[in-house]
Amino acid sequence: MAETEQPAGPPETLVDPIDMSSLDRNFRDEIKSMPNGDELSACFACTTCTAACPIANQWNYKPHQLIRMIILGMRDEVLSSKEIWECLTCFQCQERCPQKVRVTDIFFDTKNLAAEEGKIPENIIGLGRALLEDGQLYTVTADWEREDMDLEPEVPGLSTDAIKEILKDTRTGRIAGGDE
Amino acid sequence: MSRVPTYNLYMGCSVPANYPNYETSMLKVAEALGMELEYMEGVACCGSPNLRAIDYFGWLVVNARTLAIAEQNGHDIVTPCNGCFGSLKDVHHFLKHNIEHREKVNKELKKMNLEFKGTITPRHFIEALYTDIGIEEIKKKVTNPLDGVGIAIHYGCHLLRPADVTEMKPDVFDHLVEATGAKVIEYPLWKQCCGATVLPVNEPLAIRLARDKIKSMKESGAEYTTVCCPACGNQLDLQQLGLKESYGEVYNLPVLLYPQILALAMGMSEEDVGLEMNRVSADSILEHLSG
Repeated sequence: MAETEQPAGPPETLVDPIDMSSLDRNFRDEIKSMPNGDELSACFACTTCTAACPIANQWNYKPHQLIRMIILGMRDEVLSSKEIWECLTCFQCQERCPQKVRVTDIFFDTKNLAAEEGKIPENIIGLGRALLEDGQLYTVTADWEREDMDLEPEVPGLSTDAIKEILKDTRTGRIAGGDE
Repeated sequence: MSRVPTYNLYMGCSVPANYPNYETSMLKVAEALGMELEYMEGVACCGSPNLRAIDYFGWLVVNARTLAIAEQNGHDIVTPCNGCFGSLKDVHHFLKHNIEHREKVNKELKKMNLEFKGTITPRHFIEALYTDIGIEEIKKKVTNPLDGVGIAIHYGCHLLRPADVTEMKPDVFDHLVEATGAKVIEYPLWKQCCGATVLPVNEPLAIRLARDKIKSMKESGAEYTTVCCPACGNQLDLQQLGLKESYGEVYNLPVLLYPQILALAMGMSEEDVGLEMNRVSADSILEHLSG
């Protein structure tokens, strides 16, 4: 599968061994108990997900490897990976999985676990902060443009308080709130 | 259909802030076709896939709240944004099938005197147009059909996938574009993501995805492209302007929001659809209208 350049001669090891002492055997059950994670163990590593992924060739860990790493218990490697945050959430992998493993949904679960441990890219925390402080991701700046098009200057019906109120008490409030 | 179909209109935050031309052309097309769209009151931003990534439970509650508000008058939700559609539809599907989480979410909603029951369906505007009005009725209103000009369609990932959640067929948009007299241009990368979601963590990768998509459309003979999502629109239209600097390439492929095309084919003016707001100039589309 891996099409990286092969050095001349036989490789030093045929398979890089995993450090078994660092495996977290409960990781698979943790993921299986999360939303849409229950089919995790059905994966037989056919690599269809990786073939479907438009950016897998940019990744050190391919989608099928990430799933395998979860099953093996490589918790730290998965939760610290850049790959889970670069997932486009295009659902091409999940859509084609012959075993009905909800690959994209499972990557969402891993991001939630990483977030709980504070392993979140700064810009994503920024989006959480925008939701907490502004109650929306995009704010109308050119109301004259809306009026020119026969629209009300402000977005009709949008409540910014509702989302602020909900998210201050959930994980978003803990990781992106300004209380500390 | 004797009764005028009425919908709860959920705008989200991106279309109103960045694409008033999408909003106004959608409202005008809906009115002309006898769809009653009523702005929802007191609803929150969907949070986008980014909220789902960091705070699954918060994302469930925020979107279940929107669904519960719509249940009060019993009308389906329609939205012009794939991101909002993806969030609302996924939460709806998940809570319908997961009693444990539904109870947890409803405990939160009860504090707001709301309850999620799953009695209405969140839908994308173009699907409602296709299913409830129908291609035949739409064609009857097309007075100035396009002259067969080639348009490539970008559906957007969250409109189509995962199919068991979205319940969308990947031909709805094709039929809608053909109804305006345009020719649908097939291209190899039609399923590929626009790159919007990866923008906050890897901007060059996001731009590369958009560029490959635009290139694939152009090389397949498309003169225009059309989208039904503000995030995809941003990637293909606004980012296209930056390709001159980053890739030394100029594609000059105008990006139209679907209701703009339909409105023009129904005889509305370029002012009606806010054509001057399109970043890559789309004015030439007017030359392809007959009548």
